[in-house]
Amino acid sequence: MAKDTLFSTLKQNQGMLFTLLVFILLPFVVGLFNGASPAQVWLNESGHSKFIQGLAIEIFILALYALSYDLIFGFTGLLSFGHSMFFAVGAYLTGILLKSFGFSLAATFGMLFLAGIVQALLFGMVLPRVKGITFALVTLGMASVFHVLVISTELGEYTGSDVGLQGVVVPAFISPASERLRLYFVTLTILILVFLLYKRFVNSPTGRVCTAIRENEGRALMLGYNTFFFKLAALMLSSLTAALAGGLHTIYQPIVSPNVAGLGYTVTALLIILIGGVGTLNGALVGAVVFRLLDYGLRRYIGESASFINGAIYVAIVLFLPYGIVGTWKLKSMNLRQGWDRLLGMLNTASKEK
Amino acid sequence: MDYLLDVQDIHTFIGQYHILQGVDVRVPKGSITALLGRNGAGKTTTLKSILGLTPPRQGRVIFEDRAIQGMHSFDIASLGIGFVPEHRAIFRDLSVEENLKIAERKKDDYVRKRDFIFSLFPDLKRLISLSGTNLSGGQQQMLAIARALVADNRLLLIDEPSEGLAPVLIEQLMKAILQLSAESTVVLVEQNFLVASQLAEYYVIIEEGRSVKEGKMKDLINDKDTIHRYLGAA
Repeated sequence: MAKDTLFSTLKQNQGMLFTLLVFILLPFVVGLFNGASPAQVWLNESGHSKFIQGLAIEIFILALYALSYDLIFGFTGLLSFGHSMFFAVGAYLTGILLKSFGFSLAATFGMLFLAGIVQALLFGMVLPRVKGITFALVTLGMASVFHVLVISTELGEYTGSDVGLQGVVVPAFISPASERLRLYFVTLTILILVFLLYKRFVNSPTGRVCTAIRENEGRALMLGYNTFFFKLAALMLSSLTAALAGGLHTIYQPIVSPNVAGLGYTVTALLIILIGGVGTLNGALVGAVVFRLLDYGLRRYIGESASFINGAIYVAIVLFLPYGIVGTWKLKSMNLRQGWDRLLGMLNTASKEK
Repeated sequence: MDYLLDVQDIHTFIGQYHILQGVDVRVPKGSITALLGRNGAGKTTTLKSILGLTPPRQGRVIFEDRAIQGMHSFDIASLGIGFVPEHRAIFRDLSVEENLKIAERKKDDYVRKRDFIFSLFPDLKRLISLSGTNLSGGQQQMLAIARALVADNRLLLIDEPSEGLAPVLIEQLMKAILQLSAESTVVLVEQNFLVASQLAEYYVIIEEGRSVKEGKMKDLINDKDTIHRYLGAA
């Protein structure tokens, strides 16, 4: 009996397990293609495998960040334009504590945890007072204040102002230079754990109330739910995850650019879940992979005009896959025709306006 | 008489508009009371004011000997008041079962009430795993009422249950409402006088934000003058 249930759980999650297997084997397989034995990969001696691991680590971090945005926007329906602050606070705090204050890694992550909670409470303060687009603008304001702080020359000693935070010494056992394979598996493990936690959360009674709030907050209220606490819980989990992603970002990247505190970085999260599918956890993962690989591939093979083509691809995705990749997959209908109609409609109005 | 709900002279504003200008509603325990009146008279606003969704600025709302005006909506609902809003306000992104489970106020409310709910609305049992989007209008209305039955609600406020439903469905719904009124007290807003007159034991007529007449439904049915004056031709 126990064997049967185990088997059926495995079967239900075969897609996930397969993906996991791919990511576990990825560094070694890439090594083999370039003539490096698994042992060499294990000792971080294969340059090409290390490069791919690096790209994957970036994807894992982006996926964590996108998951955290999907929780508040996709599941709870809170449109925040200040999400980059959650990430940037994590990134800068990690860098500054490690570099300027000589904190240990454990103590740093303890502080990250606290910072995550404080940030959620900060957003929580305005939560009952503003809704919808006003909430988006207030959170944008808060994030902008942080952005200004980060690039200010007064704090340059700590933040590196507009140059970015450099020279963070990462503990040797997790260093991206000498122990990249370990860092790869650490970030992968964190991503898996967070993903499972999120899955649990959105399928829990609390998660269902969040979905209900997204759909219609009034109806959730009249069932007797104090919706504020549910929104705060989602914000809390989201900001903790984003801060964690920011911390990992600092550990992996040699330099923390102030761009991660800007509006553009919030848009990155939004874009990733739009590509993958708003309100689907798998979508955040798929979106992160597509987003990073597109960006990397276009930059490498096309160069300067990459962002233009990138933009065109995103517009196409929104037109043809309005529910994102995972969302469309679930609906099992591509409906290309509608996409064309939308595109033609758009061009039509554009030409009429001339 | 023993009143479960006693609304005393409430005044409610929406924005700058003085919508309710003195509404009294007394609801005897275990009865069905219908709020009657023309479109825009303030019937729905009365329900919303009871629940604190549009809090009354003046007057008192007494539920089980406790003044509840000015409390938060979610606290009022938690006292044991279920609200079935008009337009079949279910959660379309949740399945039928999730829609019911979300209404739990105590652990396992749903498991305890399941049999009763499915005896009233056998259709829902069949549709249990379907998402709210895929239900027909009638099924959505049944689900909206069923949702209010999950928790131990002593009072149910039902807004326009028959609106936009086919006659066959209205009959089915009326049967269900009569059955559930054995378990809890019901306040009903109903445009369709025929439906209201067959369901309710008591009535309150609301006209331009004021309660103008109340009494027993069986007296009203024969009172053609009142019906004509306040409810139009019926």
